[in-house]
Parts: sequence; C-alpha cells; structure tokens
Amino acid sequence: MIKRVEVNYRGIFQKNLGKKIGSDIVMIASRMGQKAFSNGRYSDSPERNGIPCKYFAFVSPDLSEEELEAECGAKLEIDEANISLVLDDTMCKGVEPWGWHGIRPINERVVEDGCLIVFSRKSHDELLKFIGKKPYNYRLAILEGDASLAGLWVNKDDYTHERALGGIAAIDPSLISIEAVESYLLDKTKDPRRAGAARAAYESLRQEAMPPRVRTVTAAEGIDWPHEIPVLPKWFEMQEGAVVPAVKRGFEIGPRGQTRNPGFKRGTTKTQRPAVRFDLCTKCTLCWAECPDECFDPTADGLYDIDYQYCVGCGKCAQVCPVKECIVMVDELRFDDDSSPWEHWKRDPQDYIRWVEQKKGKERVSYPVVTGKGMILSQGETMPEGKIVPVRKTEEVDV
Amino acid sequence: MSVATAEARSDASAYEREDLLNGCQAVAQGVRLADVDVIAAYPIRPYTEVMDAISKLIADGAFDAEYIIADSEHSQFEIVKHASSVNARAFGGSSGTGWMYGFEALVVTATDRLPPLFLVGNRALDDPGAFGVEHNDAMAIRDMGWLLAWVTSPQEALEHVLIGYRIAEDKQVRMPMALAMDGAFLTHSQHIVKIPSVAAAKKFLPPYDLGERRLHPDNPISIAPQANEDWVMEIRRQNWEAAKRARGVIQEAYREFNRVFGDRYAAPYYFDEFMTEDAEIVLIGLGTVASPARTAVRRLRERGQKVGYVSLRWFRPFPTVELRECLSRFKAIGVVDRDFAHGSPDNGGILLHEIRSCLYPAKNRPAIVNFIGGLGGRDLSIADAQRMYEITAEAAGRDSLDGFVTWIGLRE
Repeated sequence: MIKRVEVNYRGIFQKNLGKKIGSDIVMIASRMGQKAFSNGRYSDSPERNGIPCKYFAFVSPDLSEEELEAECGAKLEIDEANISLVLDDTMCKGVEPWGWHGIRPINERVVEDGCLIVFSRKSHDELLKFIGKKPYNYRLAILEGDASLAGLWVNKDDYTHERALGGIAAIDPSLISIEAVESYLLDKTKDPRRAGAARAAYESLRQEAMPPRVRTVTAAEGIDWPHEIPVLPKWFEMQEGAVVPAVKRGFEIGPRGQTRNPGFKRGTTKTQRPAVRFDLCTKCTLCWAECPDECFDPTADGLYDIDYQYCVGCGKCAQVCPVKECIVMVDELRFDDDSSPWEHWKRDPQDYIRWVEQKKGKERVSYPVVTGKGMILSQGETMPEGKIVPVRKTEEVDV
Repeated sequence: MSVATAEARSDASAYEREDLLNGCQAVAQGVRLADVDVIAAYPIRPYTEVMDAISKLIADGAFDAEYIIADSEHSQFEIVKHASSVNARAFGGSSGTGWMYGFEALVVTATDRLPPLFLVGNRALDDPGAFGVEHNDAMAIRDMGWLLAWVTSPQEALEHVLIGYRIAEDKQVRMPMALAMDGAFLTHSQHIVKIPSVAAAKKFLPPYDLGERRLHPDNPISIAPQANEDWVMEIRRQNWEAAKRARGVIQEAYREFNRVFGDRYAAPYYFDEFMTEDAEIVLIGLGTVASPARTAVRRLRERGQKVGYVSLRWFRPFPTVELRECLSRFKAIGVVDRDFAHGSPDNGGILLHEIRSCLYPAKNRPAIVNFIGGLGGRDLSIADAQRMYEITAEAAGRDSLDGFVTWIGLRE
C-alpha cells in the first residue's frame, strides 16, 4: 500500500516551507516503521515568484524502499494523491505551472475518498465556487489561517509547518500519527509550542470538532472546469529547429486589444490582484508602462483596462500609482472571474465604484521586499468619488 | 575503381583556371565561390591558414563578405550560428582544443537545425600541446546531429565546400556541416587545383533560404526557448529524421555536381573504392592515409596480392547499408584509425567500432582487425601500409583474433 501526499505551494515564497513539510512526513513516517521518501516536481525549477509548484511525499507500511521508489520515484508528476495539501487558498482557482500545461484544477490528483487540505479563512462553500468537480466523493478540510509567504531560502516561522503535519495526522493517522508528530517535533526542537501547534491543528480537523472543518464533497459539487487542458503536438507536427512561431502581433485600443500568448497565461501565479478606481485615475500611464507582464490595455478614454488572465499579481502597478486608493492589491479569492473592470466601469460607474470598494474592504495587505519579513497589514480608506489625493503612502498599523 | 582527381574526370568548361593551393587555400576559394555572407574567425593552427586566405581574398577585392574576428572559438561559433539563423550563409572552423572550446555553440547549432559549414583542420587534443593531425576533435560531434565528412585532397576540399553547403542547406536537411581535413598533411600541402568558374558554382549551389525559420522582424519566431521534458524527445526525433533524409539529399547533390562539373565522383559517393573488384584484403580509413595505402595496394598488386583500399568520405550520416554491401565482399578488413576510443568495447578506434557494428547483421562477416596509427601527427608510410595489409591478410578466415588492435608506428 502506498500513501501519496502532494504539497501545492507558491514558487519561491513557499519553496522552503513545502520542502520542509514533505521532508518531515518522511522522517515521522520512518519513525513509525514505514518506508518513505520525498521529492519535488523537478520541472518547477527554476521557480518563478508565485508560480504554482509541488512537493511530494510517499509512504508505505509494507513495500520495500526500492519498490516504493519504483512506483513513485523518477516521475515528473504525481499519479494520484491521497492527501493534497494547499498552502495558499488562491490556488483553488487553478494552477498553471508551465506553458502548454493549461490551467488545471487544484484537486486534479485527489483520489476517491482522498482529502484536499487547504490553509484558508474561507468556508467550504466559498472555496467550492472555484474548485472543479470530481466524478466521485472526496473530502475538503480547512486549516484556518493565512498563506505563509516568505522568501527563497527561508520560511516564516508561524507554525504553518507544524500545523500542516497535525492536519495530515487528523486526516490519515496511518500515514503519520499525531503522537509520532508530537514526539518528532519535541525531539527535534525541544519546543512544546511546536508540538502544541500540531496538536491544535489536529484537534481542529477531528470529526467531533466544532465547527466541523472536514466535509465530504460529493460528485455533484464544484464547478465544471472552464479551462482546456492542451494536447501536446506529435514530433512531426512541431516546427523543426526548436522554433516557436511568435504570437501574431496585434494591437487595438480597448479591452484585450493586445495579442498575448494563449499557451501560457500565468494568471494563476497571483495571490492578489490590482483593483482600480477609474474615477481617481490621472492617466499618468505609470501602471501601463511599468507592468512587467504588459497586462494593461489602453482604452479610448485614456484609462487602462487590465487583463487579469495575464496578471501575476506582482503589485508593481499599485506601487507606482501616485494616487491614494486608486490601485489597491486585493485577495484574489474575492473575485469570481477575469472579466474587464473597465467595461464594468463604462457600463455603470456608480455600480462599479460600489463593487470595487466592497472588494477592497478595509485591510491593505502588502508583502515587503525584505525576505522573510512576511505579510504587513495596514488600514485602507474609502475615497469619495473623484477625490484625487496625490499622496498614497499609508502608515503601517495593527488591524 | 576510382580516384577523385580533377584530371581524371572533369568538364573543362566548368573550371576557369588552375592554381597551386594548399587545403586551407582551397577551402578559402570554395568559400568565395559559395558566395558566403558571414565569416567568423579565431586563430588556431592548422585552421588559421584558412582565415588568412579568406581575409586576403577580401583585402584583394576578390571576395565580399562580413568578416568578424571573435574573441574565442565559443563566440566565433555563436556568431556563425546566429548569422545562419538570419539567413546569411555562414562559415566557421577551428582545430583541436579550439573546436572543443566552442562545443556548446556547436551542439546548439545542430539542435537549432541551422546549416553553416565549418572546416575542422584535424589536430590532436592537448595535453601535451600537439599541432599534428588526429581525428578525435572532429569525431567529438559525431553524435550531435551534424553532417561530417573527410576529404583527401585540396581539390576535393574546394569542391566539398560547395557540395557541403548544398546538402546542409537543403530544406530536407538543414543540419550544420563539418568538413574535416587532416592537419598539416592536407591543410598545409599544396597541389595544383582546378578552380571552378563562378557561373558553374552558382549553377550548382542554389541561394540559401531558411524559409519559415528565417529570423527576421517580418517573420517573428523564437528559436530555442527553454524546453522542458515535454519537448526534447520530439526535437531529438526530428533531428534523426533530418539525418535520415540527408542520405537521399547527399546522393542527389553528387549527381548534380557530376552533371555540372563532369563525372567527378562515383556512386555511392560516401566512399571511394580503389582496386577492390577482385580484392580479398582491404584497408579502410579516413583522410590522407589514402595516399600511402593506395600506393601500397599498387605495389602489392604487382606481387599478385588481391588487395584494395576503401577511402571513407562520409562519417555522418554513416553509410551503413552501402558500406555493409561493400565490405561484406571481402575476406578480411583492416580498419585504420587516426583516433582512439579509450576504454571502448574493443579498445580500438572510433571507426573500428562503427564498422564492426555496421557489419554485425551482414550474412558474410569478414574478419576485422584494427590499426591505431598516425596519432598526434606521426606519419603513416607506405611501409606501414604494407605491414597493415600483411597483418590483415593473416586474419582472413580466423574466427577469433588475440590482440587484433595493432598500434602502427609506436616505438616498442
């Protein structure tokens, strides 16, 4: 018997965290007398900021190490996952790791009666608005918390790692038991708070826990997956000489007026997206000029629309925008689709302002460039219509 | 029976004059007649003389081309590759360790399926620093998706610049071409060469057209982006297909060359046979060893011995079918390697292994012995060749041969 665990993480920002969780599953399962090993999806490297990546751990109570390796090792992608851990809930909208891979459902590899464990502050129903349907029942578990984002060589020491281990122990004690998790963490760190964090996560996912955080998802639940999975061409269908024809250049004024690569959209890279108050815009062009991914489309009225399919959520536009509250980065899961914000604004400006302010909310989240510093929360405000305030720096406050 | 010499067979009207040229100068004339657009150069002996000769042609006003001196072989080969990708006919070349230094660029020129022509003036690989001929430098690209051929005279060298570009640039092929030539013994050996007319060269060699793969603002493409495991096997398979198609293109190129320049080369073109009709014992080798070997054949024939020589011209693609048909007629074969394959299955040369593999499915498998000789520029004499025929003759009809690899000319 083989138990497969998949850790879905954000490239660079959670690289170290994902690997740490995978490694410790191996260590704990081994202490329980099982055979185990772990590896990463090799083609994810070199990782780019925020790109959806995977780390794997494989555990077996009865197979030899060589048999386990033969079944699960030397493969680029996991065949199936008994547990699929998601370290950032915005990946529930789909994951596109490379060009020509397509945008794939986060639960693509979850087996029947398997479990998708998501770090999130959202409810099961809110997440299922984005997750694809499966032809069978599986479980969705929510470990309450924020995505832990840091840098390449570090992970933020916020107990996410310990909580992930405790959560897995609650879902499948035969894989790693909570006792083995606790004893391992105590032996390794001599810090009872770490074992305690694992235990608390374990308790939160137990069946008798209130509110219940593990829920069976039936075959009817979830969405019909809207994205096509590409079929790779055969050798004789490809252009010779490692040549890729360019995306045909085209430009028109207006939404999606620039041609872009349909084979790699990269929009699933983002955890936040820029929300724009068009009424505050001074048409300074900085967002359009500075966007590293050319996501801004000029419109006839001098404003700039955004093609969210291609936005990676880097925050550069919000950083350079010189007007207070004009461009604000907002949690990606608050948005249902990638439709044109400018078209919404043109259709009904009052409705758009109400809509975008509701999306923005009060909290402004930023991730300082200092590696490992983590997330910073600050207080936002609602600007009256048309009130342009050319100083946008906000003070950091505890919310 | 044939020897490719200009006197033997040629259409006088296709050649405009004669000149005394060494191998490098002959290649320079070939580059002029091929109307090459871009030449990138970096000196290393014995290749250096070809860059001298080309720069002199340009300085004399006899030839017009972009001539770029690079800072190293790596840059030199990259320049050639890039020029080729923008539809410029490009020429490069090197020798020995210089050739190896630019290897990264050579490998990608093949996978990008670009068709420049390179001269490899064969030189021993250091250390110790040696200028003399040894074939391991050119042999290093044998598995990398290149066309690779050896020539045996300045006349052949000149003509193979034209033939080489024609094959490499063919739409069915589009592979880089390495034209290998023995350092010193051919690069620096002067012979009377018949020089084709510009009109005849033009008639034979069509303009270079990379078509839909031409890198140009009007034809926006990306060449060789990062490709992961999803693509590489298919790209390798395409390379193999091009190498297979090259076989037909090579045959057609020689037929066309014969039509324009007179009956210069005999089918199957991949190799030349000398006095092999009734031969029982033959040697086979690459490059200038042909001269002492053929001379030895003539002398041994006078004594009534049934010997012959096969001069292999094309190494990639390897003429498997043609060579199997040819060699399985004989009782014993001596393979002459001016290279070495340390630690290889037979502890012999590279050519030995290729030929043994080629003959494995043959119904009539001749005995095979191997000679390692002429390494680092040591000469292979007529006497050496005669000795090789004697050793090969002893092997005829014997199933197993102890120590069947003989080092020729070694002090022992």
